Amino acid sequence: MRDSDVLENNPRVSRSALEAIHGQVFGWALSRCNYEQQLAEDLVQQAYVELLTGKAQFTGGSSLKTFVFAVVQNLARSRFRRRATHLRLVHRAAPVDDVSHLEEPQEHSALWRAVQELPGRQRDIIELVFCRDLTVEEAAQIMGVTTGTGRVHYDRAKKALRKKLENE
Amino acid sequence: MNNEQLARQLQQDTATFERDRVPAFATVFSAAEMRVANARRRRYAGGLVAAAAVIAIVASLGPATEPDWQYVDPVLFASTTSWEAPSDVLLPQHSVDLFEDIPVLIEGTKIDGGALL
Repeated sequence: MRDSDVLENNPRVSRSALEAIHGQVFGWALSRCNYEQQLAEDLVQQAYVELLTGKAQFTGGSSLKTFVFAVVQNLARSRFRRRATHLRLVHRAAPVDDVSHLEEPQEHSALWRAVQELPGRQRDIIELVFCRDLTVEEAAQIMGVTTGTGRVHYDRAKKALRKKLENE
Repeated sequence: MNNEQLARQLQQDTATFERDRVPAFATVFSAAEMRVANARRRRYAGGLVAAAAVIAIVASLGPATEPDWQYVDPVLFASTTSWEAPSDVLLPQHSVDLFEDIPVLIEGTKIDGGALL
């Protein structure tokens, strides 16, 4: 880690370390915003602002990736909650064809569709563990639940997913 | 499908979906840096304005200063033939003699037909 690379108000975070996980962080932000590109970009930018100002202080208690994912999750919960609710309502009210910006990756596979149909927490833990290469403990930390609760969501999600795939 | 297969399939789907959607790190990060810098600038400007306002309020609430009175001897004042107003500095010629151009109002004391000549 070069000295100039380190964030002024967050000495344990470097630009290069953030760049290395940027794609994963953006993907996580996308799924937090119903796959709306612009909203996800705002969300990630806000997460970087929190890191730059030191409002979100990384102490090294977890991996940087887990920490930044948790920052994105918390921001999405607070600042973007109203917007996300609005999007969900629009998504429910209007036919999918009419809402071009809600572009979920549904075209890809039955598996992806099955994941998207899972309840929120189960979907999140499957995404974090399977798609983002995190452990159940790390995923639980990001979601703000205990490891035990995380494991319950994870087991239920796997069962539900297998059942859905068997029925198709 | 076991866990590994599930994970691999999902990772493939995610990667395919996100491939062209992730903006460059430099773009997002420099935008964030700009926002932080702008916020800092606004905060300093706000501080300066607040400080100026406080100074103005304090100055206006401060004790009124007594005018700088000067004693003028009435005898001396009555005998003076010239006077210089504070605003005379604006005139091309200062301290004009009061009696320099006194118009002659009465030419004489002789009366002609009931009127002064």
